[in-house]
Amino acid sequence: MIIEILKGNDAKILRHDEKVILALVPNDKLRTTAELLFKAGCYYATGVGVDERLLGVGFSMYHIFNCESEKRYVILKAVASNLKIPSITPVISGANWAEREAMDMIGILFDEHPEPLRLILPDDWPEGIYPLRKEFHYNERPPKVEFKPPKREKKPGIMEVPVGPYHPTLHEPEVFELHVKGEEIVGAVYRGFHVHRGMEKLAEERMTINQIPFLAERICGICGYTHNCAYAQAVEDAAKIEVPERALYIRTILLELERLHSHLLWFGVAFHLLGFDSGFMHTWRIREAFMDLAELLTGNRKTYGMNLIGGVRRDIDEEKKKKVLEIFEKTKKETKEVLDNAVGMKELISRMKGIGILPKKEGREIGVVGPVARASGIDTDVRRDHPYAAYGDLDFKVPVYKEGDVLARFLVRYEETFESFWIIEQALDQLPPGDILNEDYELPEYAVGIGATEAPRGEDVHFVITEGGNKVYRWRPRAPTYNNLPAVPIMLMGEKLADAPIIIASIDPCFSCTDHMVIVDGEKVCRCSLDDYLGRL
Amino acid sequence: MFEKSLWVFHLNSGSCNGCDIEILNIFAPKQDVERFGIKLVGSPRHADAIAFTGPVTRECLPKVIEAFKAVPEPKIVLAIGSCACGGGIWYDTYAVIGGVKELYKILKEEYGIEPPTTIYIPGCPPKPEAIIYAVAMARGLVKQKQKREIYIEELDEKTERDIVEILFGEAKETRHFVPNITVKTDGGEDE
Repeated sequence: MIIEILKGNDAKILRHDEKVILALVPNDKLRTTAELLFKAGCYYATGVGVDERLLGVGFSMYHIFNCESEKRYVILKAVASNLKIPSITPVISGANWAEREAMDMIGILFDEHPEPLRLILPDDWPEGIYPLRKEFHYNERPPKVEFKPPKREKKPGIMEVPVGPYHPTLHEPEVFELHVKGEEIVGAVYRGFHVHRGMEKLAEERMTINQIPFLAERICGICGYTHNCAYAQAVEDAAKIEVPERALYIRTILLELERLHSHLLWFGVAFHLLGFDSGFMHTWRIREAFMDLAELLTGNRKTYGMNLIGGVRRDIDEEKKKKVLEIFEKTKKETKEVLDNAVGMKELISRMKGIGILPKKEGREIGVVGPVARASGIDTDVRRDHPYAAYGDLDFKVPVYKEGDVLARFLVRYEETFESFWIIEQALDQLPPGDILNEDYELPEYAVGIGATEAPRGEDVHFVITEGGNKVYRWRPRAPTYNNLPAVPIMLMGEKLADAPIIIASIDPCFSCTDHMVIVDGEKVCRCSLDDYLGRL
Repeated sequence: MFEKSLWVFHLNSGSCNGCDIEILNIFAPKQDVERFGIKLVGSPRHADAIAFTGPVTRECLPKVIEAFKAVPEPKIVLAIGSCACGGGIWYDTYAVIGGVKELYKILKEEYGIEPPTTIYIPGCPPKPEAIIYAVAMARGLVKQKQKREIYIEELDEKTERDIVEILFGEAKETRHFVPNITVKTDGGEDE
């Protein structure tokens, strides 16, 4: 069905296999094709601008769609003529920030883009310098230009409450500006990209393919390994590299171990925000066992450094296997005890029930992923829909709740935690013998690859174009918080100010993941366009 | 240094969360640094020390300077993680200033602020034990482990000797978090 849509719009199919369809779409048909894909049930994952002048193409834009019904990713490629590409934001609002990022970083202009403002680069960055163009070197530091913040007009009766950049409930430098009328929140402005570190350019210019996994791991200190895996999968997809089965199982074990520590971390933070500090202490005490396990299996508590292209670096032997199961027996019981106690507390439940509701329809339009989507009745999970690593062979449930409130998001994570225990136990039991690393491969020139994993926070997509030799021509990671953040203003609307921290935390936001890339714009989330925003109130 | 309770303000200048989580971790039951009288505070004006993480991104720089100035003197800085110590893997990219030393340079040149006492805790992320050691050092409970001396074997050839000196010259430049390295050739068995 997808292929008919593409052929009906004069698209030239460049790659067609069971994982990816890549099609070159003529510029005048781009918007209709994107709209038809969206209506056919594919949701917008991300967009990538690429400087392909060295390949004799010019500037191009890749729009990536996740087609769950066909278990495939569909990539629409459009080539800029005279720097211009029609914008698809008018038909798919999710593409807003992806296109603005391409404007910032590459200098592509999008026709009829509703909000063509600067998004990623710092305010004092000079106009006309585009970091991801090939003539720009990663270590150039252009001089500062003067920046005047936009004028703010105060609306009568509305108070602005800044949360950030340094705030006790945020551990990362981000700014939320909440607009309140009495106790009720009537608006929110998000201003991000404080953690833009220039990673993509660094990877292209300074690093080799087998160094980038270590860089990818440093995207995020909580869910780094899933980025690492997604990158490795993207290169393996582009170069058609066979990964030994044992390596796939080891990856699965570590991915689930990361999910366990991440979910327990989230429970702790959520308890802390709800005023249940002994819950925080208990979950973090249990979590310490998983950090020790990670150290046992990989050599480090965080940033495991386990993946290379084609496999993993360390094996799991019988002794470690035994130790893992031993620790699991204890921690599973403790986790169950603490979380069941929490679920049984009326005070805690009443602070989460019916708070921060995200309806299914809005969630689907924005394209939320992970536990946020599953708590709003959207049945999506990359592990099941696009099986990777060893998930195809393992048995697990995908919990789905339809209430869409903070409690539902809590319960989704609660069930997932125990699924993770179960997945690791199965994977350890079925761990096949054999090699753990396949180094017998050659990197093709300019091949496109996609790698997707289910991070603790949702779908994580990496896009890679190889350069041949041992270099990457373009690499772009997209973290799950990118898709989930625009849902926050919808959840915040009409809630009490005191509930704002737990609502923001309920999507398990990870700004460092999101910040060297892009965040999809919700209707009411905007950066540097406060005036527009206030006009819409 | 600080003999009594140390109140710490956590200043994230664009870190990946790895170090930040380890900072939270030392307040959890296993390490529990509150027994040393250490506490995380929400406002820089209440703090004695800054737990500094991240490589200082260009976007964060003005905000970091504001928060830095808000912490009253005398203060100490705990530079936690490789990024804070020297900029980490992105020390020279277009979006990053490059660690706490570069920040001090800017503070001195543009605002005339002298750099405070700084304890460097490298690692990606550093283990909680390392952070606790640094905090204990700030409290004066333990001594610094790192020495500013490097021992090399005695060499006969003069040219080789020159090469070694060039290498150490470079090391002094790049490893700026260990100032005043001295080179000794007596085998390093002094203690």
